[in-house]
Amino acid sequence: MNKKALILGVIVIAIAITIIASSSTPSETVNLDMGRTHGSISTTMGSPIFGNPDAPITIVEFGDYQCEMCYRWFHASKPQIVENYIDTGKANLIFIDLAFLGKDSLKAAQATYCAEDQGKYWEFHNMLYNSQENVDDGWANSERLKAFAFSLGLDMDLFDSCFDSGKYSKRVQYNIDQAKKHNVHSTPTFIIVGDNQQKQVSGAQPYDVFVNVFDSMI
Amino acid sequence: MVQTIKLVFSNSKYLTISFIIFASMFVGLLILSEYVFLDPYVVSHLPPGSEFGLVLIVILSVLSALVIPMNIFRISILKGSKQKMSGSIFGSLVGSIAGACSCGPIGFAVISTFGSIGATTTAFLTNYEIPIRLAAIAILTVTYFTTVKSLKIECNLDS
Repeated sequence: MNKKALILGVIVIAIAITIIASSSTPSETVNLDMGRTHGSISTTMGSPIFGNPDAPITIVEFGDYQCEMCYRWFHASKPQIVENYIDTGKANLIFIDLAFLGKDSLKAAQATYCAEDQGKYWEFHNMLYNSQENVDDGWANSERLKAFAFSLGLDMDLFDSCFDSGKYSKRVQYNIDQAKKHNVHSTPTFIIVGDNQQKQVSGAQPYDVFVNVFDSMI
Repeated sequence: MVQTIKLVFSNSKYLTISFIIFASMFVGLLILSEYVFLDPYVVSHLPPGSEFGLVLIVILSVLSALVIPMNIFRISILKGSKQKMSGSIFGSLVGSIAGACSCGPIGFAVISTFGSIGATTTAFLTNYEIPIRLAAIAILTVTYFTTVKSLKIECNLDS
């Protein structure tokens, strides 16, 4: 009897400790849809969906925050896609990290998910692509990433604890593995998923190419 | 100088070599630098701010197509030294690989194969793409003038 009571007591204490521990850092919980897939791609560990989640087309972008071509696409083609397809609910966008160019690429990718914890993934993502400089020249080192977080008004205690602990290192690695699994060997690469079909577009291609691909899918 | 060029390129063999070098370098670099895409549609694209890079690719391709056949001519016809030939090949190669790495499939393959050394090399070639291409153009220009000069002497041409 006493033995049973002891085991029960231990279980109750363990549950209580778990609840207290998780409630003490509510903003650091990971809100992941574990079954999220788009076409053949598992987007579970990717970015939050930008745009209408029920849009008929999903653009899955594989990118690196230090990639010059990703920067080029971000500034040259993406604005028109956002204006004409994402803002109108025809398409949505998911970003998956293929962080391979340098050591700061991995840090930058992890930092975006720390920003996601505070609801500012896309703001942080945009800030990185607006601030890009040369590969590993310090523009995306730990100090600068924290400075970006600060300038976005994030809670720095939460951000620092998330970033310094490497909380999202496995998430980023999972995304890199997803890219390799789909034979993505360069950034940016886009897999455009429509009803029962998906097409790959490699490189910082112009807006018109995306329009043609979208039109062939709708 | 014109006489020297005429001498080399009056032979259709060297003209053909020149055309092949120009076409393969120009088209190859346009694809690697993402000015031309082949899939899913064949399109050309010149994003704002990348005009200077395109100009460098044109200059590099033209110089390579000019200098390499001239040196092949020197070696095969005049049995000249191979020193200038290596200069022209080196200039063309350095100019080409400067923009080839970056975040494209070649850069990915280099980093995947060689790890941190590959990443450092790729970062260097990416960060200094323009200065490296300018240096390659300088090497090819110097090689061009020294080749023309030596051809003049070796062929007894009057300027």
